[in-house]
Amino acid sequence: MTTVVLIPGLVSDGFVWTAAAAALAPLPVVIADVTTQNSIEDMARSLLAQHGGRLLLAGHSMGGRVAMEMARQAPGRIAGMALLNTGMHPRRDGEEAKRQAMIDLAHGQGMAALASAWLPGMMNAARPPEPGLMADLAAMVCRMTPEIHERQLRALLARPDAAATLAFAGPMLLITGAQDVWSPVAQHRDIARLCPQARLEVIPDAGHFAPVEQPSVVSRLLADWAKPVVAADSGLDRIPDTPLFDRPRSNAGYALNKMAMGLATPEGRAAFLVDEGAYLDRFRLTQEQRAAVMARNWEEMVRLGGNLFYILKISAVDPTPIRAIGAAQAGMSLDAFLETRLGKVTNG
Amino acid sequence: MAKLIGGLGTSHVPSIAAALDKGLRHSDEWKPFFDGYVPAQEWVAAQKPDIAVVIFNDHGNAFFLDRVPTLALGVADSYAPIDEGWGPRAVPDFVGAADFAWHLADQMVERHFDPLICRELDVDHGLQVPMELVFGRPEVWPVKVVPILVNTIQYPIPTPQRMWDLGRTLRHAIESWPGDERVLVMGTGGLSHQLQGARAGYINPDEDRRWIADIGPAPQRYRDMSREDYVEVFGSEGAELIMWLVMRGCMDEKVNTLHRHYFAPASMTGAGMVLLENA
Repeated sequence: MTTVVLIPGLVSDGFVWTAAAAALAPLPVVIADVTTQNSIEDMARSLLAQHGGRLLLAGHSMGGRVAMEMARQAPGRIAGMALLNTGMHPRRDGEEAKRQAMIDLAHGQGMAALASAWLPGMMNAARPPEPGLMADLAAMVCRMTPEIHERQLRALLARPDAAATLAFAGPMLLITGAQDVWSPVAQHRDIARLCPQARLEVIPDAGHFAPVEQPSVVSRLLADWAKPVVAADSGLDRIPDTPLFDRPRSNAGYALNKMAMGLATPEGRAAFLVDEGAYLDRFRLTQEQRAAVMARNWEEMVRLGGNLFYILKISAVDPTPIRAIGAAQAGMSLDAFLETRLGKVTNG
Repeated sequence: MAKLIGGLGTSHVPSIAAALDKGLRHSDEWKPFFDGYVPAQEWVAAQKPDIAVVIFNDHGNAFFLDRVPTLALGVADSYAPIDEGWGPRAVPDFVGAADFAWHLADQMVERHFDPLICRELDVDHGLQVPMELVFGRPEVWPVKVVPILVNTIQYPIPTPQRMWDLGRTLRHAIESWPGDERVLVMGTGGLSHQLQGARAGYINPDEDRRWIADIGPAPQRYRDMSREDYVEVFGSEGAELIMWLVMRGCMDEKVNTLHRHYFAPASMTGAGMVLLENA
């Protein structure tokens, strides 16, 4: 089973990931804690130790640097990586003095003062953010302490040069805001150049806090990207066009298959033939499942969790050859299906 | 001690039963398929087995998804052919070998295989078709049966290696039975086929032929393959072939392949058989 690990950035927590966590909810999702470690390497090490198995990472800002470091330490465990508003370059000239000023500000005047000084420059300058969002972000910063802030900034100042080691071959999604002046688009292009499967999405009307500035756009991108990554990684759906009857499918299709199982008795078959709708009403099919049965849409029944061994019993009541059911799922005419898939008779 | 006379692997495609029911045994479409079984039928008849241990999967007939036994063992006195939706078939009931089956239950659990023990059980085409392919359509079956059912529908299905180990355990169980019955073990299912998804209709005759040629002399590759490998090579329902490994695991390391036969497609399935005896 793959676990999604959402890694916040500097003085951030799960608030940044609220929409993303909900959109990814079919998968096991955890919010990483990066407030206690003294270096990017230690953050990566402790997250790898805390969360077992295959991991799908999404890292925001400093969290993106942690994700890249996790992939460096344990490339075999990372199913995919989404990097948001981040970069891979090492410390730049003059960076330390600016960071030290912020450390001093937080210690001297407190986290609320830090939030007021730091947050506005992070946002999309072209359009002032909603006051509610600024208040929520300030509240998040105030949930942290000057000590956490200093520890994370010192970790950032001592960060590894990810460019020297980054070579992630797995699926990668890069997201940044068009108005992110802190981590501009060019930094993400640099990352994309090193990773063959990288895809870059630039979000309009967003700055450095794209996940909360444009939550629905970002979370939809993440969910669409994560689904096939996890399916491909889980092993079961690794084989194209082959839906194995695993727990999600069995759960999704339970009522549909139970309805079909009822056709194994003469009473069930008679009831189905007399009044199909009334028979179906005995089972709690979803509207989609009900429509698929009524339309004898085999492909759709399988997509909705139907298993052929059960739904085949519908074809006993309403005679349909198994090869026609196969052709329908393959999206072919019966003749084309027989010719291309079953055409060569071989004997002996 | 009971004697293991041989191991037989065979498809159990339901269309085979339908063809027999419709009187198509000698039709142009089906004759080559059925004719390929004749030498094995003759060998088995000459060997006069008393008991057939048949490893197969239920196809959503005896068991629903409300409770899915990974492994089930019949200990009944008789087993009726089940109505799969098309109405009852004119196939005689199968006579159980209840005492022998209880002995298998004891020995399996002793060796850490824990089946669902079935005192009443109807059996679907997974058992009917192999019996018809080996013994024809008699008024009374010439052997008693012990059904052993493996879950091959609801994931997680058991691993190939586990099936092999079950075969080793069954061998010990058969030979520790104090009677002098002659026992035939039948592993059933496959060969390549896929009923579900856009890859429906997938068959792989080359790999099927390789399986039939190698399952006797060189089974190691098939023990080493993962379940996903089976699905990839043999199709989603072709993974039923893991049940042949139970039969193969029952046999000695060195076996003679007495007869083999392959035909495709039978309906949507690569179909065939292999007959093994210990060398």
